[in-house]
Amino acid sequence: MLVPALAIYTMLIAYPFVSSLALSFFKWPGIGPKEYVGLANYKNVLTGYMSREFYRALGHNVIFFILSWLTGIIPGLIFALFLSAGIWGTNFFKTLFFIPNTLSIVIVGFLWSLLLNPQWGFINQALKIVGLGVLAKPWLGDTTLALPTIILVNAWRSMGFFILTFLAGIVGIDREMFEAARIDGANEWQIITKIIVPQLIPIIGTLTILKVIWSFNVFDIVFAMEGTQAGPAGSTDVLGTLFYRIAFGGLGSSDVGMGLGATVVTLIFLIVFPISIIYVYLVEKRTKAG
Amino acid sequence: MLKLNSLQKSIILILLVVWALVNIFPLGVMFISGFKTTREIFMDPFGLPKKWTFNSYVKAWHVANFAAYFKNSIIVSLVSIVLILFVSSMGAYVLARFDFPGRRLIYLYIIAGLVLPVRLAIIPIFLLIRSFRLNDTLFALFLVYTAGGISFSTFLLVNFFENIPVDLEDAARIDGAGVFRIYWQINLPLLRPALATVTIFNFIRVWNDFFFPLIFIDTDAKKTIPLGIQNFFGEFDIQWDLLFGALNIAIIPIIIFFLILSRQFIAGLTEGAIK
Repeated sequence: MLVPALAIYTMLIAYPFVSSLALSFFKWPGIGPKEYVGLANYKNVLTGYMSREFYRALGHNVIFFILSWLTGIIPGLIFALFLSAGIWGTNFFKTLFFIPNTLSIVIVGFLWSLLLNPQWGFINQALKIVGLGVLAKPWLGDTTLALPTIILVNAWRSMGFFILTFLAGIVGIDREMFEAARIDGANEWQIITKIIVPQLIPIIGTLTILKVIWSFNVFDIVFAMEGTQAGPAGSTDVLGTLFYRIAFGGLGSSDVGMGLGATVVTLIFLIVFPISIIYVYLVEKRTKAG
Repeated sequence: MLKLNSLQKSIILILLVVWALVNIFPLGVMFISGFKTTREIFMDPFGLPKKWTFNSYVKAWHVANFAAYFKNSIIVSLVSIVLILFVSSMGAYVLARFDFPGRRLIYLYIIAGLVLPVRLAIIPIFLLIRSFRLNDTLFALFLVYTAGGISFSTFLLVNFFENIPVDLEDAARIDGAGVFRIYWQINLPLLRPALATVTIFNFIRVWNDFFFPLIFIDTDAKKTIPLGIQNFFGEFDIQWDLLFGALNIAIIPIIIFFLILSRQFIAGLTEGAIK
């Protein structure tokens, strides 16, 4: 009875990962014979003609991680604290904040690209109405603004997830610790900084790891808002879109091929894997403890 | 619970309302624009439509083959979820209830998939599906989604099994029930809360996925909603009434579904991070 799960998982998850690694040592356009090229693909990507594109994309993934951490984890924690204060309408807010998170990332991307449209977009119109017309910008058409804008849209969608995950953590903290601290003369601010936040460190850790994994695999939202070319002028190109162009075509890629594509995903994997191991370890430890 | 004075509470309430508006505004604009003409959307972006018209919905529905996209999304979600539930609950039953050499290793092997982003293995998956001649069929999606759901679902169910007493099983065994019957008649009903979480988690994952249909599906009539919408945006990028109509058609059902089952949704999606 374990066999179906093992068979499907092995065939479509475990084996492809190994096979993808193997493929990265070959040159292969997708049909015909494969040509073994050793480390040539890695050389091309890391130091050769693909390296400029690769490091630019990698840099964007790093920026994506840092900015989405700052715009996700920190406000998520703050809003979770707000919701734990026992204020009127808490349940209503919880439900409402979670709505964007239930929507498909590409659909969120399309919605926001309409809202951010430079001529007719609602965001620029709204800025003009409140007298901030100078701030109206071609958000997705500007090489410095496009990536941060995409990250903010992503934050808009995922905030509910962070808020509610933190909230579940706060609710799980033993209330008696608060009372004991109050008896010792602690004020509410000290309760937050000395009790709640330290108790949430494991959750912050887990969410940070998830953010790393997501940030290095980001694809859909860039695809939806800037297309496979990840414009303007490649300023939003991430490893996911770079990989897609190499492996599955798309005009304007410097090189196309399954071997080279496999090399790029193997490199993504090498970045994410150590962090993933820590995550599985933590999850294992916590479920055993709890 | 924090103890706050009324000034602090009011400030917090104001900030919560502001964030609520940031959530509602884009969705509200989208919803209302779906009832306007393109001209009205451009001339009066924030006003209510002068005449509420369903034109954009009707047009978008017909132009974009939405009936097919919906049907495909529903079929793919249903089949994948049923397969995941069946395969993972059987696997979890064996892993949780039987002791055999290598049990722990197999468990770790399966939950390693919790953090393997499936799309990183897409090239070999694509080649495999192509060698079965399953590309451009919904079968490709059933297989990929089922495989991608096994790790999380098995993990959650194995944990849940630990809260189910073994006594009932023992009693049934004495009465001569076989392994499969014990799984099917005794454990499955008790697993129901965990199965609900697994269902919701996978439903959201599958229903919203864009990447795998993008890779596997070419024929318009076989597209799921996210992929169908993508095409639509490429084709009609100046007919904003159609675009908003299409977005509404895609988004409203899932929001309603969420509002009905919000507690289960939230549990299903945050469980993985808290565990």
